[in-house]
Amino acid sequence: MNLLGRLKPKSREGSLAIILLVAIGGTGLINNRFLTGDGTRDLLASTSVVALLAIGIAPIVIMRHIDLSIASTVGLSAWFVADMSAKNPDFTWVQCFIVGPIIGVLVGILNGLLVAGLRLPSLVVTLGTLYIVRGLVYVISNSVDYNAQEMPTSLIDDLGQKVFFGLLPLTFSLVVIIMIIMALYMKYTQAGRDCYAIGSNPPAAELVGLKVFRRTFLAFVFSGFMAGLAGVFYLMRFAQVDSTAFYGQELAVVAAVVIGGVTIFGGSGTVVGAVIGALLVQTIQGGLAALGVDAFWKSAINGLLLIIAIYADRVLAVRSEKQLLGQRIKERN
Amino acid sequence: MPNFPKIVQVRKSWDTAILVLLLTVLILASLTTEGFLTALNFSYIFSNTSEITIIAFAMLFMIIMGEIDLSVASILALGSAMLGWSYAKGAPIWLSILICILVGTLCGLINGFLVTKLGLGSLAVTIGTLALYRGVANGILGENTVNEFPEFWTSFGFDTIGTSFMPKTLPLIIFFGIMFGILLHRTPFGRRTLAIGQSPEAARFAGVNIIRHKMIVFTFTGFMSGIAGVVYTFRFSTAQADNGVGIELLVISAILLGGVSIFGGIGTMWGVVAGVLLAGSVESWLTLREINAQWRTIVTGLLLLLSVAAPVLVQKSRNRRERKALKS
Repeated sequence: MNLLGRLKPKSREGSLAIILLVAIGGTGLINNRFLTGDGTRDLLASTSVVALLAIGIAPIVIMRHIDLSIASTVGLSAWFVADMSAKNPDFTWVQCFIVGPIIGVLVGILNGLLVAGLRLPSLVVTLGTLYIVRGLVYVISNSVDYNAQEMPTSLIDDLGQKVFFGLLPLTFSLVVIIMIIMALYMKYTQAGRDCYAIGSNPPAAELVGLKVFRRTFLAFVFSGFMAGLAGVFYLMRFAQVDSTAFYGQELAVVAAVVIGGVTIFGGSGTVVGAVIGALLVQTIQGGLAALGVDAFWKSAINGLLLIIAIYADRVLAVRSEKQLLGQRIKERN
Repeated sequence: MPNFPKIVQVRKSWDTAILVLLLTVLILASLTTEGFLTALNFSYIFSNTSEITIIAFAMLFMIIMGEIDLSVASILALGSAMLGWSYAKGAPIWLSILICILVGTLCGLINGFLVTKLGLGSLAVTIGTLALYRGVANGILGENTVNEFPEFWTSFGFDTIGTSFMPKTLPLIIFFGIMFGILLHRTPFGRRTLAIGQSPEAARFAGVNIIRHKMIVFTFTGFMSGIAGVVYTFRFSTAQADNGVGIELLVISAILLGGVSIFGGIGTMWGVVAGVLLAGSVESWLTLREINAQWRTIVTGLLLLLSVAAPVLVQKSRNRRERKALKS
């Protein structure tokens, strides 16, 4: 085997990481502010919310479902936490980290019951809850918005601004810890493996006696939990919130997950890939801004990236299928 | 499949249920709310739902076929942006309208190409093109809006015919409704659409050219979104990049309310018309009762959930009753 072949990454995550490094390096060469400590810190901090959500929906997408309600849940959680801490001056970061996820879990339970319990298509159900949850934010917020002064300083200033080694924001290190735990869980536990089995072939998973209801239900609760947590992260990052917070960002998260190699048809992909996907999307966005591309084109670039990712995914799937087929034919001869 | 006739029965009963529901809403609203049962209000209902109805006619084929197109609202916006942009650049209005419709058709063609020729999933792809088309609209117009259009065309958008309650767009909608209704229920093309939705494999073995068929449906969905773009632009007399944000969800919920199965293979034109009217009437009722616009977002979501949950719940309770009957 030649050197190049040996250098070729074995996994999807490996190739993604290389693309990510190339993207970061390339932008850094043209605009050197991008590679400074400030630039890196900013990139990591602004990826945190999307990365959390990507970890949250990765198991769902692996199970061939989808959760579109997450962005609305982020808005609800963020607004609710801000509202409660504005009304209770003795609120600290601890209460924030309790209230936010609880709200997320409630939404997750609703989604889970409808999808797993009634077996309704997750796309339609979570479209419905996307509306309902966002509507709730509109109604309860009554167009009131909150700024940094009304939120606990222990959350916004102490934790939100905390950076390790001048590079690594606290928020992103939490994301990495959660990512590692989830990656191990998905790889080494029965429940994690079940997700892949259910996603590759739902009827077969049911026939061999996997607990499809419980796994699906808990996956939606987990995604809700992460969305609730992401709401608190949103406050830590932006230090302000109104009723349209994080509006319409669910597609950016889906794009990140798909770009990260989690197939939309279920059954393959990893949590690590999802986080790298989120980083990649953010890098390209930030990179284009650093290169002076008009912000109006942002959504077009997002869409194009997503389509390219889906296409690459399809090409890879077809190729590996052909390889497997070739192998089998060889074995038979 | 022994269960098959049962499903059809439930669907049929849901079709009738939606009509009963529509009538109930109309009667309740007329009784409780002053100003609901007036010509003017009905004119509003028809005109407020015009783009949704126009897109729904085409999207009906899409969902029956087992595919989905989430990019329709972005196509509407891109068409509208192109209309405004070219008109502001000095193109004659007929050319701008033509551009809007052509852009829509082209967008549909691109969707169809990605789904059929490259074999990508329509849900994921149209999420991508949703962002892409809207982004291009954003890139073209930025924060600008174009709102100087010839009066003849803006009056086409929001005036009524003579002194009647019919908006000028209504004949257009009725024309498309009849065309697509005939296409679905009275032509081989419609039968093929239903066949593909029931079982793509079986349809392929029966000699249906699935790729060409899907290509046609994606293209005319784009075409109808372009038409909706023209109507939207003139109805609000404004072309801007965020025209019609979120309309795709309203279209889908109206279609599902009309008894079309999200799993494909089942659906009728009059069910969809009833679904659109139901959504429109509820909306108008809430407006007249001066219920906050914010609550309407919640009601839209609830309607969507209801439209998928109700048929399943009906089926479940029926199964339970039959099992009880078998036991005794």
